[in-house]
Amino acid sequence: MESLLIINGSPRAPRSNSKRYIELFTQSFTGSYDQLQALNYSKSTVNVDDYSDILLVFPLYADSIPTPLMTFLKIMSQSPKTRQPTIHVLINCGFLEPEQNIIAVEMLQFYAKQFGFSFGSVLMVGSGEAILNTPFSFLVKRRIRKLAASIQTHNPLCQSVTMPLPKSIFLSASTKYWLTMGAKHGQTKETMSTMSIEKE
Amino acid sequence: MNLILSDQPLHFLTSLPSDTVVYDLSQQTIHPCVGCFGCWTKTPGKCVIRDDAPNIYPKIAASERILYISHIWCGGFDTPMKTLMERSIPVQQAFIRIHQGETHHVQRAVVPKEAIILAYGADTQEEQTLFKRLVERNAKNMSFSSWKIHFLSPDTLQEAILEEVSQWNHS
Ligand SMILES: Cc1cc2nc3c(=O)[nH]c(=O)nc-3n(C[C@H](O)[C@H](O)[C@H](O)COP(=O)(O)O)c2cc1C
Repeated sequence: MESLLIINGSPRAPRSNSKRYIELFTQSFTGSYDQLQALNYSKSTVNVDDYSDILLVFPLYADSIPTPLMTFLKIMSQSPKTRQPTIHVLINCGFLEPEQNIIAVEMLQFYAKQFGFSFGSVLMVGSGEAILNTPFSFLVKRRIRKLAASIQTHNPLCQSVTMPLPKSIFLSASTKYWLTMGAKHGQTKETMSTMSIEKE
Repeated sequence: MNLILSDQPLHFLTSLPSDTVVYDLSQQTIHPCVGCFGCWTKTPGKCVIRDDAPNIYPKIAASERILYISHIWCGGFDTPMKTLMERSIPVQQAFIRIHQGETHHVQRAVVPKEAIILAYGADTQEEQTLFKRLVERNAKNMSFSSWKIHFLSPDTLQEAILEEVSQWNHS
């Protein structure tokens, strides 16, 4: 039977951008699916062998895969398989350039080859912390619809998307965003710009 | 300052060059980052999780030379080193700059550093190439002014560590 397992690989899964990307995905995906947070995997009883496809949705962390997802992948690599499920990737990064995600995607291609999975579709999102809250969210939604279709029709597709902004505009928009986040905790531009690390 | 970050005990390192600090991550308690961004927006420069990581990332920032000793998994640093790297984002500000033509974070007081990576467990050319490309990316976010990677098997690791550190005694 065809079915999809969606993994939220974000270390802050319940409040994550990955969760929002998954919500958009499931609005377009018409097949059957289950969802899981990588953070909870050791506690759950999911059998990977029940699925034909696995969609990993996660943020770029230090230029690669966040540790909770690494832990999940290690457990998954050991689980008995009678078929070769296909791994798909929906990755988002904070920086503007979606290409900054490429190494993490290649690590997963390597993983798939190493541990007997097939590799399918990819969507790399740049400015992933912000884009869904901007008028450019339609660009992501469109790509997510295509991702869902590509998984359902078994036609692997590699896509990337970001805010179509000059870097200088992205810089000032992101500064504004972070200042608003800091202000919620009583921080100012000066306090947030401290050069001190672990000092009063 | 010199720093040695290792994912395994280094009992055989009996004498250290001056101004050198060693952390055996297998003896440290370092929880995974929870992605709260508190280190940027709530307590700038400090992680809200008060385990052993807040002792280590200031030393990463202050070091001119870092020796990383790490197992490699799927072309990346394996979990112990990767967990520390993720927990080290308090050394950066929330604010973004353009660096080498791409968007990256502004660094706090982080000294440009030479990184030497003794990597074990990456046995194929494909995995080694992937790891080299990862480190090239890490360099932009982690203030590496230069880096060297040596791929080793577990049985040649000790010798390589001793060799590397003995060179420091002379530099
Ligand atoms: C510890 C840590 C490391 C990160 N490393 C990167 C990085 O290397 N490159 C990048 O573009 N964004 C990086 N980010 C930003 C996240 O990828 C971005 O905020 C993403 O939208 C988070 O998605 P999530 O809410 O689904 O977890 C990092 C964030 C954290 C907390």
